[in-house]
Amino acid sequence: MNNEIQVFLNKLSEEFFLFAPQQDGAVINIKEVRDIGDVDWSGRMPTNTWKALFLPAREKMFDISDGRLVKSKTSQPKIAAIGVNVVDLKALTLLELVFSRDVYYQERRCNTLIIGYSSSWPNDYKKYKIFSHNFEEDILEHLIFDIFIAQFAVGRMKIYSGSEKGQHILEEGGIKDYEHIEFAGPISEKGPDKKMLLLKKKMESSQGKRIWHELNKICIACGKCSINCPTCFCFDLEDSVDPDNPERVRKWGSCFYNDFSLVAGGGKELDTVSKKIFFWYYHKFVRIPFEYMMPGCVGCGRCSKVCPVGIKIEEVLKKV
Amino acid sequence: MLNIYQTNKVRIISASQESVDTKLLRLEFIDSEIKKNFHFLPGQFVQIGLPGWGECPISICSSPNDSETFFELAIRDIGVLTNKLNSLSAGDCVDIRGPFGNGFDVDLFKGKPLLLVGGGCGFVPLRPLIIDYLAGRLESKTLQILYGCASEETMLFKKNHAAWNRRAELKVILEKPSTNWKGDRGLVTDLLGRIKISAQTVAVLVGPPVMYRFVIKELKHKKLSDENIILSLEKRMHCGIGVCQHCAIGPFYVCKDGPVFRWLDIKDYYSL
Repeated sequence: MNNEIQVFLNKLSEEFFLFAPQQDGAVINIKEVRDIGDVDWSGRMPTNTWKALFLPAREKMFDISDGRLVKSKTSQPKIAAIGVNVVDLKALTLLELVFSRDVYYQERRCNTLIIGYSSSWPNDYKKYKIFSHNFEEDILEHLIFDIFIAQFAVGRMKIYSGSEKGQHILEEGGIKDYEHIEFAGPISEKGPDKKMLLLKKKMESSQGKRIWHELNKICIACGKCSINCPTCFCFDLEDSVDPDNPERVRKWGSCFYNDFSLVAGGGKELDTVSKKIFFWYYHKFVRIPFEYMMPGCVGCGRCSKVCPVGIKIEEVLKKV
Repeated sequence: MLNIYQTNKVRIISASQESVDTKLLRLEFIDSEIKKNFHFLPGQFVQIGLPGWGECPISICSSPNDSETFFELAIRDIGVLTNKLNSLSAGDCVDIRGPFGNGFDVDLFKGKPLLLVGGGCGFVPLRPLIIDYLAGRLESKTLQILYGCASEETMLFKKNHAAWNRRAELKVILEKPSTNWKGDRGLVTDLLGRIKISAQTVAVLVGPPVMYRFVIKELKHKKLSDENIILSLEKRMHCGIGVCQHCAIGPFYVCKDGPVFRWLDIKDYYSL
């Protein structure tokens, strides 16, 4: 990364905790930055997701004091998410819509700076059709970010702001040569994503298909796909029973876990692996498009990579 | 920013034993402004909870007409929280969020015969409709009520039955009654075969999934249209506003788009 950006990030670290993809043994992981030089700018997909910064795996919502729920006073740390690729920005754009009325998400988001990044095209770019489109109009206009760094080829780079907050921070950091992009909503002017609509139609009529019976035998319902998915946002509300620290918390949930659909008296809607995995796919490919007109899967491939029994989402989609 | 997870305190005006496992809590908001502005529709529900014990969704069983004075919840002792709630008495406080959900679209009942079919504790959300009908606020042509439950001990709203039977037609059937029981014995579906139901009837069903399977089959046999068969569904819920995903059914959320659905709209997503 060029010197101007290095200096900018160093200055940023005086105010923000920086998080970025970094080499972590054989893989790339998103973690806190100790040294700007450690940031991975290769554009390879990180193994973990950004969602924990926006929707922690466990967060306190209320302290319980004298039998009352008192909103947790914990102030949100200032965090800069650096080097968020386009695919992960799509996932964050979805979370932004889903949690638009959520005070905990919004307070955290106010203190978070999202710096998107695209390196020159990835080796397997053909998988990501978006790269053949007009970058500013077809892609960046429809993503949530504060700052975006686009590295087009060796040495050539373009910087964009996507919010007032981003503009302000760029100016303060001494970067004047940037273009502002106004968020035009998640849906392109050409209408909803055609591939999304096609998959939605296929999924809607797929109940009872052989693929779900096949997966019933293979999938072990471990929930790793949902934990590692950047768009999985199911959650549970739970009261802590610790007498020294009574609190109401929100925790990541997973539709693969047994108590997900459990009701009083013991009834369970999702009582087979087949129903659970169908529910997961249905959420991504029907329910999210139905609600937000956005794909519920951004195509990052993390679920396929982490699946212990080798279920590949792209193979499943061919069979629905 | 408004915190959608913040609860409001209500005081228990009275807590009466409604059946062997169910208590009827009559509640009022402590904050007079909230109390004045608390409005709901029949069929809507609230999240009732106690800090440290969690929350659960319960249908409101009193009439919206009384909402500025009180509202009632019938709580069946079936889990840790409901057990705790049922140990409380008048003067104690609990937490409420809501009301949530769509409630019944009572305009659909106008001028038509209305049939309410309740099974077990599923009978609870039907009570506001009955109260409103008897008070002349529900414009259905007639009202038939079929109620099936396990035994005399678990029967709900016993005190009201005589009054309900005066202006409406109430039939109760028990699955395992005592030897003293003079009424019908069996399942609520058995009653369906014995009464006259016109094809124009609007039927509202609330009960366990197994009841829906048999009742819908019977109603289809009686030529009721899918848009005139209305169900209220029970699902696990956490948020109450269509985000947490626990109550999703097809593209819908029971907490937000339901709990009341026309059979027409959900039959593709609900396996009987």
